[in-house]
Amino acid sequence: MLTADGYRFDPGFLVDHLDELARGLLRTLGVGVLGMAGALAVGLLLGALAALRVPVARQLVRVYVEVFRNTPLLVQIFFLYFALPEVGLRLDAFTVGWLSLLLWGGAYNVENFRAGFEAVDGGYLEACRALGFPRLAAFRQVALPLGWRVALPSVTNTEISVLKNSSFLVAISFPELTQTAVDIVAVSFRVFEMFLVLGVVYLGLVWLMSLGARAVERRFAVPGGL
Amino acid sequence: MPAWVPPVASYLATGLRTTALLALVSIVASVALGVVLGTLLTLPSRPVRAAVRAYVEVWRGLPIIVILFFIFFVLPVVGLRVETFTAAAVGLSLWGSANAAEVVRGAVRSVPRGQTEAGAALGFGWAGRMRYVVLPQAARRALPPLVGLVVNLTQQTSLAAVIGLLDILEAAQRSIERLTLTGGDTHAVPILGAVLGVFFVVCLALTLLSRWLERRLR
Repeated sequence: MLTADGYRFDPGFLVDHLDELARGLLRTLGVGVLGMAGALAVGLLLGALAALRVPVARQLVRVYVEVFRNTPLLVQIFFLYFALPEVGLRLDAFTVGWLSLLLWGGAYNVENFRAGFEAVDGGYLEACRALGFPRLAAFRQVALPLGWRVALPSVTNTEISVLKNSSFLVAISFPELTQTAVDIVAVSFRVFEMFLVLGVVYLGLVWLMSLGARAVERRFAVPGGL
Repeated sequence: MPAWVPPVASYLATGLRTTALLALVSIVASVALGVVLGTLLTLPSRPVRAAVRAYVEVWRGLPIIVILFFIFFVLPVVGLRVETFTAAAVGLSLWGSANAAEVVRGAVRSVPRGQTEAGAALGFGWAGRMRYVVLPQAARRALPPLVGLVVNLTQQTSLAAVIGLLDILEAAQRSIERLTLTGGDTHAVPILGAVLGVFFVVCLALTLLSRWLERRLR
């Protein structure tokens, strides 16, 4: 590849830096997986609280969701990293990384799961109650197993965003994949080699995750639909 | 009011103007390009769809910060010197237009086939059917998710700070650094809190608008 400035694509350069990039990828996966798992747990738990209309808890969940969904993730990261030390809470970049992703993704997943639970036909729940199930049991036996399937596509989107947005941690110099590649670019100007790696890895991860999600969707499809 | 507040506030206001301008440019470009690309995605022509599909998958699949860095680093290498603002606007518009295209494609698809057929029966060509029959109906369905995308784009403008644009977030960071250098308190909590507050007010209003539009649709 040759450009106006006489740029020549150098595969050897790429090979030389694979180790460094692999370490960056591992850190991306580290914060990403922690963030994704946490966002899933938070979404499921708080989404259930919201769908069950637990008083007070429901309003608090609402506030959490609106605050985290209506402010930029990057500013949230900055706040955790630069502002919290001022009130005596100093977190390292790794902790800020997975925690910010968990809080941000969790807020989206609360809405995803709540919508899923509430999409379950009210008739099923009434039937449960008529059979003498307590409210919580009706939720656990009917709304949960059906609702999570409804929520799955949007939850998948959120989880993919959480993994991709681990790249925002560049802003606090956490050496994940993007930071590693950008650092290499800054000293070598090997732009195309590095962005080829970033493109292949991120698109590959997104593709793998959507493939996995689709397999789960097929495996757990409700016979005859909902 | 403490002495540090007025200079910081006016600095943040300058940054906010840049943020607002960046958001405006990116939103307009994303929606305009997204409508065109989304409509192309509903064409019967396979090569056209494949080309647009590739564009959408690439720019939607990549993290936005990677797109911004890519534009920021690559344009100079291929001989284009652009300002940070332009690089940020181009990057955000690539990501935004790919997402808008998906929204528009979905909305066009949701218009019942009979509408297109009725348009054809009345003698409309493809362009006429789109212009007078399909797009006006698709627009109503596309509106709530498009407002959602506007919220998202508005928030993502903050990433321009990472490539050095003096937006509201960068202004906040520089203020905090300056206060640190002059000794004493960084005031990071109120300063970053103010940035969160500005985004929250704007985005919550837009989110509520999107929800209202969605309810009205039913």
